[in-house]
Amino acid sequence: MNTTEGHSDPYAGQSCTDNSKRLPLTAGQRLDRVCSTARVAWADGNRTVKDFNHALDISGRLDRNPYSVVSMAVGLGYVLGGGIFSPLTARVVGLSLQLGLRLAAVPFIQRELLGIAQAACQRDSDDLDKNPNSEG
Amino acid sequence: MDMTEQLEQTANKLEERVRPQLKAATQRLAVLNKQVSSYIRTNPGKCLLGAIAAGYVIGRVARRR
Repeated sequence: MNTTEGHSDPYAGQSCTDNSKRLPLTAGQRLDRVCSTARVAWADGNRTVKDFNHALDISGRLDRNPYSVVSMAVGLGYVLGGGIFSPLTARVVGLSLQLGLRLAAVPFIQRELLGIAQAACQRDSDDLDKNPNSEG
Repeated sequence: MDMTEQLEQTANKLEERVRPQLKAATQRLAVLNKQVSSYIRTNPGKCLLGAIAAGYVIGRVARRR
């Protein structure tokens, strides 16, 4: 990708202090050079933002899930504000992990308890079958 | 009339009283959701910048504590 397309620097390769071959640049030429460099930088930045936008498909995402995009923006701001290593983040992450682990553990514990209860019932019925006189 | 029937009647009355309010609240929330979504779609830059700024402020406040 030619980033300088349409914004060629007329003084390219000409240094301000290079007086061995050419005369030093005048103030106007320097200003012109700065302007053309700024124009190139602006065009580059614009194109980068457009490429970034195209790659992330922000407008499409915004159309599909506006709340999630805004939430992501809030999260980005939170990270930029330095909140990621704060006690609040630690507390929120800790609570989420606790809750998640509990929710994940409930079916497992339920299954185990059911298994234990079934095994106990089976053992009792087996004992009754083997020794019918030992009841009570 | 026994206790269960009384309780059932009370629950039914409560449901009759609460149901229209719940319906109205749901409709209001749906309208609000539509308005907010359309605002975000029409002003994406403003909303995203505002969200980033809000997150930044929250992050700063959280870091201080």
